[in-house]
Amino acid sequence: MSTRDSKLDERLLALFRGLDVGPDFDARLMARLRTESQTDGRERATRARRQESVRHARALSDLQSWRRSMLRLLTLDTLGIGLLLVVAVVTAWPHLDPQVMDGLRQYGLPIVASLGVLLAAAALWMNRADVV
Amino acid sequence: MELVRAERRDEAIALILGEFRRKVFGLAYSFLRNREAAQDVAQDVFIKVWRALPGFDGRASLSTWIYTITRNTSLSALRAQRPQSSLSDPDVMAAVDATDDAPPGDTVVEGALLQRLVDQLPTKQRQVIMLFYMEEQSHEDVAAMLAMPVGTVKTLLHRARARLSAAAVK
Repeated sequence: MSTRDSKLDERLLALFRGLDVGPDFDARLMARLRTESQTDGRERATRARRQESVRHARALSDLQSWRRSMLRLLTLDTLGIGLLLVVAVVTAWPHLDPQVMDGLRQYGLPIVASLGVLLAAAALWMNRADVV
Repeated sequence: MELVRAERRDEAIALILGEFRRKVFGLAYSFLRNREAAQDVAQDVFIKVWRALPGFDGRASLSTWIYTITRNTSLSALRAQRPQSSLSDPDVMAAVDATDDAPPGDTVVEGALLQRLVDQLPTKQRQVIMLFYMEEQSHEDVAAMLAMPVGTVKTLLHRARARLSAAAVK
């Protein structure tokens, strides 16, 4: 490197050496960060509230759709079929074989419970199919 | 990164500030050529870094990430600025435009004139000269800051020095 180049290097180093941020740079930045931090916390809380509200609305809507589908099932036809089934059971009950009666007494509860579980599972499966 | 993962963002930003304050300011200044504007950009950069720290996945190095934010923020600020009056000065321009085959000499330009000569350099040459001499950075550091190959930095630096040297002789 020639003398001329090294002198130029020195001049350039001297020219840019003092180039730096002002003394209040860090203080200003920290003040802004504190403000940002508060805003950030408020924004996060607002966002969480909004998400929770959306979740709540969706759950309510799901519940209402479940109610609606149940109410749709309660037509005159289904009521009629149910009534006929009750009449059939009440009519047939005294004529049932005592062995069948004993069997029903013994296994009636598990059978009804199993039917309930099956119905609930079917309803859940239908609900999930609707969501997907 | 451990501090960020531990949700100690403020401590992380304090460390980052210590390491990158002058580099970020210098890089912003190399774009904006205005101390106040460069400080404002540097502030914005650190705020952006602070906000984005939780999402920083470490795929790029921290310095690369910060320099990218700085360049983008500086360019946005530059676009937002109104067109400024030209710095061109006929005498300085004549000196800067001097041919490379100017005879060598020992003339040393005054600081103010040198600053004006640097201002008149093509943008990339000016940025490289400034960043290289500001903190006596390595070619690799300057290349990382400006996102350009090391070879390009060396070439730009060589051309800028030759130009300044020739202008200084004039």
